[in-house]
Amino acid sequence: MTALPRLALVAATAFSLMAGTALSQDTFNIWWFEGADSAQGITWTEALEELKAAHPDVTVNFEQKTFDQMQQSGSMILNSAEAPDILEYNKGNATAGLVSSQGLLTNLDEAFTAEGWDKFLNEGQLVLSRYNELGVYGSGSIWGISTYGEYVSAYYNIDAFEKAGVNVPTTLEELPAAFDTFKAQGVVPLALGGASTGGQHLLASLAYTKADDTWIQNYQGLKEPLDGAPYLYAAQTLTDWLAKGYITKDSTGMNDDDAALQFTSGQSPVYVSGTWNLGNFSANIKDFKWGQFVIPTPKFSVGSTGNLWVIPKGSKNPALAKEFISLLLSTKYQTEQANNGGVSFGADAAQVTNPVGANASAVFKQIADKQGLGFYPDWPVPGFYDVLNQKDTGLLQGTLTPEQFVEEIKEVYDDAQMSQ
Amino acid sequence: MAVDSVSVGRHRRGYYLYLIPGFIGLLLIVIGPQIANFVLSFTAWKGVGTPRWIGGQNYQRLLTDDQFWGSMHNTLWYMLSMTAIPVLIGLVLASLLFDYVRDQFGEKLSSFFRAAFYLPQILPLTVAGVLWGWILNPVGVANAILKMVGLGAFAQNWLGDATYALPAVSLVIVWIQVGYCLVVFMAGLSRIDPSLYEAAQLDGAGWWQRLLSITIPMLAPEIFVVVLTTLIHALKVFAPVFVLTQGGPDDATLAPSYLTYYHFFATQRVGYAAAVSTVQMILTLGLAAIFIWYQTRQAAREA
Repeated sequence: MTALPRLALVAATAFSLMAGTALSQDTFNIWWFEGADSAQGITWTEALEELKAAHPDVTVNFEQKTFDQMQQSGSMILNSAEAPDILEYNKGNATAGLVSSQGLLTNLDEAFTAEGWDKFLNEGQLVLSRYNELGVYGSGSIWGISTYGEYVSAYYNIDAFEKAGVNVPTTLEELPAAFDTFKAQGVVPLALGGASTGGQHLLASLAYTKADDTWIQNYQGLKEPLDGAPYLYAAQTLTDWLAKGYITKDSTGMNDDDAALQFTSGQSPVYVSGTWNLGNFSANIKDFKWGQFVIPTPKFSVGSTGNLWVIPKGSKNPALAKEFISLLLSTKYQTEQANNGGVSFGADAAQVTNPVGANASAVFKQIADKQGLGFYPDWPVPGFYDVLNQKDTGLLQGTLTPEQFVEEIKEVYDDAQMSQ
Repeated sequence: MAVDSVSVGRHRRGYYLYLIPGFIGLLLIVIGPQIANFVLSFTAWKGVGTPRWIGGQNYQRLLTDDQFWGSMHNTLWYMLSMTAIPVLIGLVLASLLFDYVRDQFGEKLSSFFRAAFYLPQILPLTVAGVLWGWILNPVGVANAILKMVGLGAFAQNWLGDATYALPAVSLVIVWIQVGYCLVVFMAGLSRIDPSLYEAAQLDGAGWWQRLLSITIPMLAPEIFVVVLTTLIHALKVFAPVFVLTQGGPDDATLAPSYLTYYHFFATQRVGYAAAVSTVQMILTLGLAAIFIWYQTRQAAREA
């Protein structure tokens, strides 16, 4: 026997031994896709350590996924034998709704009261946990649990605002006025990643300022053909801002990371995006003070409860999965999450020392308490995310007029509305 | 005699056994999915659950789908950047490296250039895509250099403006493809009898004359293979579009494969995605058939 085959034999034996031990022990497979340095990522890692310590006999396998991975192939993974015991899954009709209606998830109705989750979550925080038999959110059984909130707001450079003598806008009229002051000083005030989500979040934030309850319910519930008026207003405003130089035309060639960099490097004093930036900004902005304000709106903002913890139908360890959810909902980890700069529902305010997390949790509560979570604009129609991105760039580069923009998104929306 | 032919026949039959594993692989990996794809193109299916038979509706929808026709139109561009331009550049470069650089500067430098031009083929496309994204970004390297040398007026929003996005993506594709053409052509060149060049040189033929009347005709088989394979690639171009623009801005760089991907994963119209890819497959097969028929005819004529 020469050296190489012998080595191979040793390796093969070692592998089969390892496989043998792995099989004979209890394993717990868990996936999530929040970044390792995000408030959720940090908190969940800590909670998972506690879970490991409490169950030393269980081998815990964690896999880091990405949002896109789950968005695109999550349903297929859940439909296979490869599904883990618990995972973070994208909320919304096209994702969690679809797989729950296909019977791929464990029903959590019973666990909700049995595990005492009802003490931490109110009905408003369950809107996106419930899906009916068609997979439409808002009613039906509980299929997933969210342990944090998200919303889109304007991040602003406090130092730059003070230097320019601009106050935080409290009305929709004050917003362009603030931009104008910066523009007059030769600064492009608004950083925008037109090639990715930034464009559609800004657009929806503006559209939602003209939305009432009926519009939001119809829009998100795919109940009627699209009433394009709020979007027309948003598109016109965006074109107007573009013409006045509040946003650069180059934004179509920039993605969210590029735009965030314009903000963190101090080049643009305002950046409209979601709370998922909090970790990045806390860690990387050293040269100036920054804060956030909600785009002035009568009621609705872009935001929602966070992604869901779901337990696949084939989970081999549902008890441990539920225990993990309980841990994340507990005051201890909710407070921890806020201290890591995250948006918590159930933090002990007295124990939160991180101003970023304290503020974000408070803003979220403010929006949620007035029932102002308008959700994300891409939810009602599968694939609308890409449609909005594409049409957004058309609007921003001037190949689509605001009217054409509304017409084109309405066409896709109405098509989905009719054929549902 | 009779005994002999029987034994030959038995031998032949024995060989067929060895084809079985390969055939099973072909069936599982190529033919099976093709048939499944074709069948799915007549259904409405969300990727999970049971597909619903809807007949030719997906194909009917294709006829009036602007995105589909836009992507087909863009494919013409991609044929230019995948095939036409790289083949031309590859021919000139290969012949330059082979009979000029190698003769004047030696084998080593020529090999170095060959490897350097081939590098984009080896580089993972996601990495190349990120790098090109930085270069072509509005505040990226390309514009910075233009401004530095006083050509700031030519700075563009390369990937974000519909006018420039398709040419910009095409440029990246050319950069990727040239290496492939070059390497195949250089291999072909070493097959050509050097005496042809020597004779031509004695007769006073210049470099261009030698390229046109010796290199290109003698390289015909290689050119043929390269054109065929790159055309097929052009019809199914996906990765550069995916990493650079996601088909944007406003669908300006959309390719049929990206449209398939989009409907499969984003809109969950799996049946419709299958219809797009079926059309794509028919076009590819048709193109390949024409080419192979033409090549066989040429070969027969030469023989």
